[in-house]
Amino acid sequence: MFRVVLYAQWKWSRLVVTLGTIAAFILPALSVQGASRDVGSPLKAGELLSLVQSWGVLYPVLAAALGLLVAIATWAPDHRGRHVHALSLPLPRWRYVLLRFGAGVVLLAAPAVALLAGAVLATHLAAIPPGLEGYPVALTIRFALAVLVAYAVFFAISAGTTRTAGAILTVIGGLILVQVLASAADVHLDLLTPVQSILLNWPGPLAIFTGRWMLIDV
Amino acid sequence: MTHAIDIRGLHYRAGRSFEIPSLDLRVPTGAIYGFLGPNGSGKTTTIRLVLGLLRPRAGDIRVLDRPMPRQAADVLARVGYVPEQPHLDPTLTVREAMRFQAAFYPTWDHAWAEELLVAFELDERRLFGKLSKGQKGKLMMLLALAQRPELLVLDEPTDGLDPVVRRDMLAALIDYVSEGGATVFISSHLVHELERMCDWIGVMDQGRLVTELPMERFKNGIKRLVVSGAPPAVAAPFSLLSRERNGAATETWLVRGWEPEMHAFFDSVGASLQRVIDLDLEDGFVELLRTFRTLPPRPEEVR
Repeated sequence: MFRVVLYAQWKWSRLVVTLGTIAAFILPALSVQGASRDVGSPLKAGELLSLVQSWGVLYPVLAAALGLLVAIATWAPDHRGRHVHALSLPLPRWRYVLLRFGAGVVLLAAPAVALLAGAVLATHLAAIPPGLEGYPVALTIRFALAVLVAYAVFFAISAGTTRTAGAILTVIGGLILVQVLASAADVHLDLLTPVQSILLNWPGPLAIFTGRWMLIDV
Repeated sequence: MTHAIDIRGLHYRAGRSFEIPSLDLRVPTGAIYGFLGPNGSGKTTTIRLVLGLLRPRAGDIRVLDRPMPRQAADVLARVGYVPEQPHLDPTLTVREAMRFQAAFYPTWDHAWAEELLVAFELDERRLFGKLSKGQKGKLMMLLALAQRPELLVLDEPTDGLDPVVRRDMLAALIDYVSEGGATVFISSHLVHELERMCDWIGVMDQGRLVTELPMERFKNGIKRLVVSGAPPAVAAPFSLLSRERNGAATETWLVRGWEPEMHAFFDSVGASLQRVIDLDLEDGFVELLRTFRTLPPRPEEVR
């Protein structure tokens, strides 16, 4: 049962998963370019950290994009068929949702594995100055968790009806609108900062996306 | 008599525009039950309620002797369903769609699925999204039949299909039913199609069940009578659906529950029955609906 769901989901997500896997593999190598052992004058520690940090912004972006696109692709065939086929299958709804979720997680394992391979390779090939160290496994675990969080959030949103998605967008849009109007009217009202801190500061659900994403660090 | 589908006091409302106020419907086990009604009458909604795709506000639904939607998973494993709109993943090929379906049904008959694939002349490598309407209909029928279901629920399965495809599909359906004695619940507004194959008929209109009875009784019981000299009010042994004056001399009565021996009734009220006109199923269906719509919406009065 899981195998056929996985296969059907692969057909919808294969382009996203393939491109994501390639991106995850080459991103670590790009983040240490110029620090190769073959280069005559390797980067100093500060330069290397700054380079790795600047590329590090792309890891959470990639994780969020993968989670979003695979989640959308996961529910796309069911939405197209108005869920009639899914609901007429002889299994409890929670089990069907679990099958869909599990298949997405399995597909998203490919970019995480690719990132691990790319990160190990990049740290191996880079001339790392004394005092610094490569953290390919830690980076991969963080990336995998971020992908999982993004996928879970967007999976839950995508699973809902258009009305649900509309309600969520209305709440977000309403908050922004109120904030903009308050600023325009010179009223001291800060709605976004508390929301942002609840979501993005530890132990907020999206905290994993913030902070420094370093392949090489002290 | 046992019932494959047994609905009692079902109430469902979708927004403000559509309501099934109180539906009682029974599909005898082993019957081919034709579910007739014009577009928008509530046939598809009733089918979705039967399958647990929609939740009723009140009432009981039992399918294959299990309560729905409480035991939907168990029931759906024994039910083959062909929906009004083909709804499969368009990126799957015919073969992949068969594999997908087979994985969910322990009773899936691989050999018969292959036979149907050949009989329906379906290209197994073709994407579902690229199939013609007729081919999609055939594939949906294949998927429903290959499950070897005890109950087949078909929601306008041949709507919009050409006569050849329609005949192929219905032939496969009748073969299956004659082999295994499965129950079929088939909705349609193609009256002649149901007339040929069904042994029970239910008519739905505006969310209400107008009538439910064996096909023979439905076909034979609705007549148009040309009557003269009838008093204004009569207590007839049949249901008088409508009464129209044809000039001064005669009236045309539309009646249900007509039996030939009821002839004598006219003599007893001093009237004269001049002609009995047989109606085919379509005429009967149309007249029934026309009458139903002029009556207060209480199905038990016309049943």
